[in-house]
Amino acid sequence: MWVKIKNWLDIRIGSDSLVQTKVIEYRIPKNINIFYTLGFIAVIAYVIEAVTGILLLVYYIPHPDHAFRSVQEIMTRVPYGWLFREMHAVGSNLMITVILLHMIVVFLMGNYKQPRELTWLGGGLLLLFVIIFGLSGYLLPWTQLSYWSTTVVTSMPTAFPLIGEPIARILRGGDHVTATTLSRFFALHVAILPPIFLTLIGIHLFLINRTGISATPFGKADEEKRPMTEYKRKTHPDGNPYYPYFFRKQMLMMMAYFAVMFFFISFLPSLIFPEEANMPADPFKTPPEIRPAWYLLAPYQVLKLIPNKFFGITLQAVLIIVFLIWPFLDTYKEKNIMKRPVLRGLFLILLTLWLIFLFWGRTS
Amino acid sequence: MRYHVFALMMIFLLPTVATAGYKEEFEKEFLTKTWAGQQIEENLCISCHSSDTMKPEFRVITDAWQSSWHAQNNISCEHCHGGDPKDASLSMSPHRGFVGSPQPKEVPEFCGKCHIGILSHFMESGHGKALAASQKAPNCVTCHGAHNIQKATIDIINEQLCTKCHAYERAKVMKQALFLTEKKFAELDKRLQELKREGIYSDEEEKGLFNIQAEFRTLFHTVDVNLVKERTDGVTAKLDKLDADIKAMFRELNFRKNFSAFLMLVFSGMGIIILVLCCFHED
Amino acid sequence: MKRRRFLKIILTFLGSLTFFSFAYSLVKFLTSLPTARAGNKKLVISKTDIPSGSARNIIYGNVPVVVINRPERGFIAFSRVCTHLGCLVDYNERKQLFLCPCHAGIYDIEGNVVSGPPPKALNIIPIRIEGGNIVLG
Repeated sequence: MWVKIKNWLDIRIGSDSLVQTKVIEYRIPKNINIFYTLGFIAVIAYVIEAVTGILLLVYYIPHPDHAFRSVQEIMTRVPYGWLFREMHAVGSNLMITVILLHMIVVFLMGNYKQPRELTWLGGGLLLLFVIIFGLSGYLLPWTQLSYWSTTVVTSMPTAFPLIGEPIARILRGGDHVTATTLSRFFALHVAILPPIFLTLIGIHLFLINRTGISATPFGKADEEKRPMTEYKRKTHPDGNPYYPYFFRKQMLMMMAYFAVMFFFISFLPSLIFPEEANMPADPFKTPPEIRPAWYLLAPYQVLKLIPNKFFGITLQAVLIIVFLIWPFLDTYKEKNIMKRPVLRGLFLILLTLWLIFLFWGRTS
Repeated sequence: MRYHVFALMMIFLLPTVATAGYKEEFEKEFLTKTWAGQQIEENLCISCHSSDTMKPEFRVITDAWQSSWHAQNNISCEHCHGGDPKDASLSMSPHRGFVGSPQPKEVPEFCGKCHIGILSHFMESGHGKALAASQKAPNCVTCHGAHNIQKATIDIINEQLCTKCHAYERAKVMKQALFLTEKKFAELDKRLQELKREGIYSDEEEKGLFNIQAEFRTLFHTVDVNLVKERTDGVTAKLDKLDADIKAMFRELNFRKNFSAFLMLVFSGMGIIILVLCCFHED
Repeated sequence: MKRRRFLKIILTFLGSLTFFSFAYSLVKFLTSLPTARAGNKKLVISKTDIPSGSARNIIYGNVPVVVINRPERGFIAFSRVCTHLGCLVDYNERKQLFLCPCHAGIYDIEGNVVSGPPPKALNIIPIRIEGGNIVLG
């Protein structure tokens, strides 16, 4: 029966040869490791967010008078509303974690080097957009936590002289976080960001496919010779076919991702929902400890530490720009990070600092 | 190319450092500035009455109020005493409804401005009648205090307080009559807070509990033990219904935990099988 | 090979289990419609029971309701649950106001807040006038 359907399809679109060339003959290096699946997991994480987000959209009302109550309804009265809401909330944090891990792996493998600079740039922009996704989504339940951490984060741009205040005002739609803020964050989160994000993912995936998967640095030395002078897609003629070898690695990681997500939902829901997340927003009462979400804690802590606000925010802006254009700055030929102690050390220091600031920001 | 970038960064950093000082001088730390949105309202009553030039016995009032349940619910001086908290010249003016502090006999009506139901029951009670007849009787302040008013509990009825005027025996009888019901209120409240922490919003149930509790306590102010005993059954029935609702919510919570744990196990199972299939049969 | 086949069968079983769990939750999520809380019970009161300017307290589907005959404006029904903290309001005919005995919340004859702590107006309960009767539900 399946054979008949396959034949029917093949006559019309040539599916057999399509599968043969794109899936079976797509060769993956033999010694590819499990961390190379993280990009795929990030896409899966995004799909989960999109699907659960659309489901939440069916019942959510984006107005300050109704937002909190509609989320309450979803959590208590709509059947399985709690399931999709918790998947969305836990999933957003997991997605950002996966993207950060993916970025670290790509960096350590040196896979941002020529000819993959644009892929890295696209990925960096994706990370920034994901953080804006998180920021805009955080406000939507209109809880004490949402309202006040949004107030804090939208005040951060005021550190820029002259343009800082206008930026903050445009973000908030005024001087305070109000219904205007909620409307524009909702529009951002639901209508403006998704198409931009999907386009970036599309470009990112196209670039990966077009340049070819890079050679793993810890295997045979079939490294591309740099600098390259003409286009040559990197192939692995003696590698394993994508299906089933890499496909099953991806499936394994996907199962692990879901298992971790449901572990958090079952046993640690209060991690994502501290007490302030269950109280409706009150513009006249600031709860005692207000902080941005964990992925913004390190920049927040740095801003608090550096006595000069403008210097603080400029330093971070510079770091972000350096991060985005790193492949253009690091054109050293050696890809293997084990042979580059200075870069290794620098990376470790920055990562440790980021973690220190994150935990510091949590406790202060 | 690299050098161009570094040069650009330098050019950007220089004005940063230059304007550094300017920023600090002309703008308060954004961290100490009131957050956009939080409106701290100036209350002149409190500013004057807590200042150093004020008599010490007045100064303790603002502290006492600060830790009260009224303060937590944004009820401040002007709500009871009148006056204008924003205009110094009118802050204690009768034109703004300032009534000063009430005489002992006037206290029930003073508090009864808001606590209407309690006022009417109190005036009908033995305590209220005694107050109307003479000065030697309790008013609201006797049991609840004047400024450091906390949430009412059953322990307001105690030997020290009640024996000021009569034997403790009748107060004890009343306390016993209230005891079980009050205990149930406390228990249900605790369970509702627990539910809230776990993410189940129970607004309606909380309001229901408040309603029943308010009704019951208003009733108590008649200090009529028989009446209280009579009505206790009705109140207990309502509480039992609320209890059943709360139990249902806990069961729902349990179901959710089980459901997501089940999903977690299924995914882990699939992961393990894929692992075995792919990695333990390598040829 | 038998072991592989067995494992694949278990995998398919677990996979379909997951799929159907999600499908079931999804269907329930999207198709649940709010059940009419008060049920489909009807409650009928005769118009003559409530003279102009006065009101009557009834219980409709677990909710204490007050039906009021507004002078010149006809009948209207409100939930008696005060929107502040849940106490029940009483109608004061002389002042033509609703008064909450707990913290002096005051509503006018249209259910709107006049003074006091209530954050919003009283919930309106929909009614129909059929002939000489007022019908709820």
